[in-house]
Amino acid sequence: MRIPAPAWIAVVGLALATVPYFKLPAFYESFMYLIFHWVVLATSWNILSGYSGYFSFGHGAFFGIGMYTTATLAGKFDVPFLWTLLAAAAVAALIGAALGWVVFRVPKLRGELFALITLAVTFVIGTIILNTPIDGGPGIYLNSVPLPAIMPTPSGTFYFLALVTAIATVSIAYAIHRAKLGTGLFAIHDDEDVAEVMGVPTFGYKLAAFAISCALAGIAGGIQAMFVSYVTMGDTFSIVVPLNVVLMSVLGGTRHWFGPAVGATAITALLYGFTAGDFAVAGRAAIGLILIVAILFLPEGLLGRFGRRRPQRSPSQPGVAAGLAATPAAPPKAEPGARTLLEVHGLSKAFKGVQALDGVGLEVRPGEILGLVGPNGSGKSTLINVVSGHYRADQGRIVFQGRELGGVEAHRIAHAGIARTYQIPRPFAHLSVIQNVALPARFGRAALDSAAATREARFWLEFTGLAAKADALPEDLNLHERKFLELARALASRPSLLLLDEVLSGLTPSEIDGAIRTIRAIRDRGATIVFVEHVMRAVMELTDRIVVLNYGRVIAEGSPTEVMRRPEVVTAYLGKPHA
Amino acid sequence: MNLPSLTLLGQSLLSGIFIGALYGLLGLGLSLSWGMLRQINLAHFALAFLGAYLTYQLASAGMDPLATLLVILPCFFAFGVALHWVFARFSISPFNSLLVTFGVTVIIESLIQWIWTADYRRLESHYGEMKFRIGTLFVPFPELLTLLVAIALSLATWAALRYTDLGKALRAAAEDAPIAAAFGVNERALALLLSGLAAAFAGVAGACLALSYTLAPSQIYAWVGVVFAAVMIGGLGNPIGPLVAGIVIGVSEALTMALTAPAWAPLVSFSLLIVVLLARPRKF
Amino acid sequence: MLELDRIRVSYGAAPALWDISIRIDAGELVCVVGPNGAGKTTLINAIAGLNRLDDGSLAMQGRDLTRIARNRFCDQGIAIVPEGRRLFTGMSVLENLELGSYRPAARARRSESLERVFAIFPVLEERMQAPAGTLSGGQQQMLAIGRALMAQPRLLLLDEPSLGLAPSIVLEMFKVIREINASGVAVLLVEQNVAMALEIATRAYVLEEGRIVAEGSPRELLAQPHIRRAYLGEA
Repeated sequence: MRIPAPAWIAVVGLALATVPYFKLPAFYESFMYLIFHWVVLATSWNILSGYSGYFSFGHGAFFGIGMYTTATLAGKFDVPFLWTLLAAAAVAALIGAALGWVVFRVPKLRGELFALITLAVTFVIGTIILNTPIDGGPGIYLNSVPLPAIMPTPSGTFYFLALVTAIATVSIAYAIHRAKLGTGLFAIHDDEDVAEVMGVPTFGYKLAAFAISCALAGIAGGIQAMFVSYVTMGDTFSIVVPLNVVLMSVLGGTRHWFGPAVGATAITALLYGFTAGDFAVAGRAAIGLILIVAILFLPEGLLGRFGRRRPQRSPSQPGVAAGLAATPAAPPKAEPGARTLLEVHGLSKAFKGVQALDGVGLEVRPGEILGLVGPNGSGKSTLINVVSGHYRADQGRIVFQGRELGGVEAHRIAHAGIARTYQIPRPFAHLSVIQNVALPARFGRAALDSAAATREARFWLEFTGLAAKADALPEDLNLHERKFLELARALASRPSLLLLDEVLSGLTPSEIDGAIRTIRAIRDRGATIVFVEHVMRAVMELTDRIVVLNYGRVIAEGSPTEVMRRPEVVTAYLGKPHA
Repeated sequence: MNLPSLTLLGQSLLSGIFIGALYGLLGLGLSLSWGMLRQINLAHFALAFLGAYLTYQLASAGMDPLATLLVILPCFFAFGVALHWVFARFSISPFNSLLVTFGVTVIIESLIQWIWTADYRRLESHYGEMKFRIGTLFVPFPELLTLLVAIALSLATWAALRYTDLGKALRAAAEDAPIAAAFGVNERALALLLSGLAAAFAGVAGACLALSYTLAPSQIYAWVGVVFAAVMIGGLGNPIGPLVAGIVIGVSEALTMALTAPAWAPLVSFSLLIVVLLARPRKF
Repeated sequence: MLELDRIRVSYGAAPALWDISIRIDAGELVCVVGPNGAGKTTLINAIAGLNRLDDGSLAMQGRDLTRIARNRFCDQGIAIVPEGRRLFTGMSVLENLELGSYRPAARARRSESLERVFAIFPVLEERMQAPAGTLSGGQQQMLAIGRALMAQPRLLLLDEPSLGLAPSIVLEMFKVIREINASGVAVLLVEQNVAMALEIATRAYVLEEGRIVAEGSPRELLAQPHIRRAYLGEA
């Protein structure tokens, strides 16, 4: 019987809470305090940075903000200490949210650039605090601030406060890990743009994770302020805190909610275990070496093997045949009388001087399979990218089910009921096959809960023949399977409009036959499909109408056989008319 | 806010230029390896300090401070080569190179602390005694030397990258290594060479550091932020960039210090960096 | 001159080419056509040394190239015009051309090669100092071809040169390719624009899903309904 994690946390937490009653020397309680302190900092950091991949180097700033909030409120305004902790969390969260609100809007500020801008902000905030009356130089004394006597001794009280915060932080990390927010963050980590197109509200989630992360760091700072009782700038607003938490989280494993705690415990024990002279230096050198070894050989951290999130257990597993019978609800048909599902007017998009789309206008009728064809470079993929929200059009209108969709964020377009596949498959590399398919079921138009999403995913894996590979990682699939993973993923959100971008390229003739049958079945279930393809046989067999693009413009539209015989189309493809 | 005298302003300007030159010199190697090799070498600073301490040590033993470079540079070059070899062997991403070099930094820092302790060390050399006067302004020789070296190295690198076949090959390999290789460029060897050079530049910066400043292991991190700012503002991979940006930052800091209070100086470089990161459309 | 013998190449983890045997003799203009995803680029990259062979052998003028370092392929007389051009956009037109003649044997004849390239593509001489990234699509393609010519190749590899170009420019370009071939340089051309390619080729291979499915002269191939169906969908 597997004991669920929350139970473990509760048991360990209660056990540790009894320690102060053993009246150990203060040294041990302070040592444990330090461990809990770094567990909080590393785990809270990991909530944004480990889960989503946005490595922040600003954690020191929010820790420091918490510190100074408590110091100022308690030291200068006599606010009771415990209330200041709430304020510390709030102030840190607010400033973090403000920073995130600005920075997360700028798409290129990812990876190392995000790290650098958060580091720069740290120094700016530090300088401001140092030079204004908040600190001003002399620091703030907190010796006269009363410490609530929660435990028999002061060091016991700090131990307890830090323990409670650590338990809370780890629990929050665990909860997020298992919640929709965590799923979204992990998707952002692997491929933020695709996550957005699949319906994950990336901006909102990053902001939420950042705010929570900062709030927890703020509380740690508040407690630390009382612990040291004399608050000065020191090393707080620098690169030292973030580098330590990075080290701890990477060592323990950034994809696991408990990884940073493991790393924090190990590193703190190592650092403070060697307290005497030469050993202290050797201890630090050893830590440097550990980090190097960890990055080179253990990129997933110590808990990496356990990092793969198991899919939620769905209660009904018996007979997938039964599952097939209980098929998910088909997407609603468009209102009767609605002539068009999607309309595109005057759509233009240019990249670095190349006009990829030049005033494209077309319509998609409910329940049809529309073929979108044209030579390489004619703009087919760009059209799909613009309609699905992956790119924003320079000009033109997109109207879907009567709603204007131009300029809307991609995740809302997904919620509206549009799904797409990528020509070169872009699965979430660290999620299993079934997790990949369950994600759009949770975040797309269907918006299912976790268990239902997994059931839905299983259905579509059956449908596309991937059921046997449900727990595999995308890298273990061959091209054909990855293409079908793309298809299953797009279907799982129960879209009204499905945009297929060259799903057949690279498939063998018999695989193509199977794919054609599958696509027909999808349409028969009520979806409308726009089908970009080069494999002409499939285009001819499947499509009701086709639109031909060339150099970003529509050059023909009509029934497949008729259009493909037109001279201008033949010329576009072959260069000159062939009888 | 009292307006200081012209002399004081002039002296501030001068010291701003000098420290800016050191930012630029420190940033040169960092910019090259980041811009052209996609390696963010945080250890560059620790390496520079190690070089500074070695200069100090060898000079205290009697060697001319500048001659110490003859010993230091080849060793640092070898270190740079080895570092890139490891990165290439493990196919390390730019972000992970930041983390790995943090580990290297910690090791070097510990080494420095173990050998030289945390005490402050100051190199006493005849260079330190030399001073010139331009009008009412004092120009200390070590700082002037730093400026000259920074200009010389930046210009030399720029010219080499711009005009020599090797330089063009490096630039091509930095942009598209496989295609450069398809035209005969041994981009693997060139990458090792460049990494070695960047490390050697750290050694040069270290010597200049030793001549002008008091050394302590805790000082290593103090330079990280502002030099990163200079490198990014100057444009990655641009050899003249860090120097120009460094001097702009140095002068801004010095003037801020002279006109307000010294403690506001860090605000300048970091605010500039934030603005650049938010505003510049070009991808790094 | 160039011989591929039953090569197998992977693209990442997935196998992309199976059992490919191709031969190009001096002075020939050989074409490889096929649908998207067939492996045409993987094939060209393997010949240029950019992709490693899993199996089989690659020989140029009798010399086995299968295991040599990838920057040594150019020395053997092989130059590539990659798909999407892959110019050094941060460098000027002239610098790109100079880079083309990086290998020692070509470097010695750099000025002579430059003259030749400028004679074929006068617009490159006009925009000599311009950064390569500012050129139009057609000009970029010309520069890519010019860069390859600077290497004094015996075999010129062209990967989908017509991609994204207007029809009139494509016509011009194919004329130039024919001229280059006429001057003695063997050409391997990979194209999706079937008609254009078959117009100028002496021989062609059809590649589908990583395998050669047909081989012969253009006339022989165009007579096959297989090709018409694959590219036009005619029954």
